[in-house]
Amino acid sequence: MAHKMIWKLKPSLMLPLTFNSQSKHVIRFHHHPFSSLTIHHPINYTTTAAANTNNNGDYVKAKEFLELTDEELVRQCEMDFLKSSGAGGQHRNKRESAVRLKHLPTGIIAQASEDRSQHMNRDSAVKRLRALIALKVRKPVDLDAYSPPRELLQILPPKSTIRGSEIGPQIGPKNQKFALGMQALLDLIFAVEGSISEAAKYIGLSTGALSRLILSDDSLRKEVNDLRASKGMKPLK
Amino acid sequence: MNSLKYHAQFQRDKMMDNGPDSSILCRELKWLMEDAVEDHSLFSKMGFENSDEKVKMRVGIEELYNLWKERIEKRRPFQYVVGCEHWRELVLSVQEGVLIPRPETELIVDFVCDVVSKNEDLKRGVWADLGTGSGALAIGIGRALGIGGRVVAADISPVSVAVAAYNVQRYCLQDKIEVREGSWFEPLKDMEGKLAGLVSNPPYIPSKEISGLQAEVGRHEPRVALDGGVDGMDALFHLCDGAALFLKPGGFFAFETNGEQQCRDLVDYMKNKRSESLCNFEIVADFAGIQRFVIGFHH
Repeated sequence: MAHKMIWKLKPSLMLPLTFNSQSKHVIRFHHHPFSSLTIHHPINYTTTAAANTNNNGDYVKAKEFLELTDEELVRQCEMDFLKSSGAGGQHRNKRESAVRLKHLPTGIIAQASEDRSQHMNRDSAVKRLRALIALKVRKPVDLDAYSPPRELLQILPPKSTIRGSEIGPQIGPKNQKFALGMQALLDLIFAVEGSISEAAKYIGLSTGALSRLILSDDSLRKEVNDLRASKGMKPLK
Repeated sequence: MNSLKYHAQFQRDKMMDNGPDSSILCRELKWLMEDAVEDHSLFSKMGFENSDEKVKMRVGIEELYNLWKERIEKRRPFQYVVGCEHWRELVLSVQEGVLIPRPETELIVDFVCDVVSKNEDLKRGVWADLGTGSGALAIGIGRALGIGGRVVAADISPVSVAVAAYNVQRYCLQDKIEVREGSWFEPLKDMEGKLAGLVSNPPYIPSKEISGLQAEVGRHEPRVALDGGVDGMDALFHLCDGAALFLKPGGFFAFETNGEQQCRDLVDYMKNKRSESLCNFEIVADFAGIQRFVIGFHH
């Protein structure tokens, strides 16, 4: 039954493939052009950060933003869809799927347009927003009573002398939880005014090991180097 | 030379109905190439030096050119040209005769996810998507339901039924989603008072507006999926009547409409005529801020 119905389909781009296959009467699902659902689109997004968070009110909330669920975070945002206009819905053949999120409490803007589906762009924009919040929103750190938070310990390499085995495996830049650890690490580095050797002492790493951790993520490296540049220090390479 | 001519023609055409501009077309062209290349992983490497690797195409250059010419000359929707639309996290097969799912409609799946996350009974119940088209809503919902949850997807068009069934199969949901052919509630006779939920993106454009639609829509998409009668409300009223009859107590419904006016008229209609069975009406805006959806429950 199913086969009969499928046979009626008029495939367009998949047509030549079907006929190239050995048997003309079986549609091969694994040859279907869209069977590779995990298409990796080349990313050409623009991310704009217009953060400014140097007033104390925002410090308090900083970590909390990242602890919100995606939905809660989106609720704090103004969302626009670039170039959307007119009646929408069935009236339009709408190819405009770009999504722009403006996080109202911080003014941080994240957008995504690389995917064909608006829903997927929304997801990417939220992920990007999280990373930007981690990079741009700073909290004060009390160095005298400093104890690294768990989310920071989780992104440290196992050789850190203050990292217990109960912390679990090291979380890398590709993991969503990396943003929280990165935020705590930047808080510390800002507190020691960009000195890597100083910061390394607080988290039980050698200067070299901490540098390598910072260099493992491009956005983290850039943020640290921008700070160092503002203090007249040499960039990490 | 020819291509310039097509382009000029296209420019004139699209001025008339607010069609796609060149930035949208460039993006479509990029997507067309992505879909045409056999190995997607190669796509991101193209255009760099030292790539003497051969790129295998799914279609010949000649045919690719003709496909694009149809896009430009005939204003054939891009989604029909490549045979698919990306919708939520899905890639759905579409072709002439089937409405291309719209991004606005993605939200209905969010409403359903929200409702079933709070109500285990609805999560395991039977849902209906009427006028399913490509099967988009049925598949989106089918993936959100729990064990025992099912979806009946119905459409009057045999082409839609075939395409929806194909899409359901591609996502391996044939045990969860049943596709039936027929008009609105007709194929659901066995479901009276049993549905946990009912969703639909029915035709809602007023008949007189059909001729003025963007060419991609008006010339190529099925009129039966767009034209909602004189004021665009024929199917919507019918769905409300059916919701009163087919939903079980506590059941949920969500319908897409043309906008604010239709939302208000629909809620008025239900308050006046169907308030003994339906309640908790809510009008919800789409992402562009247009009041797009009416949602509610059975008592």
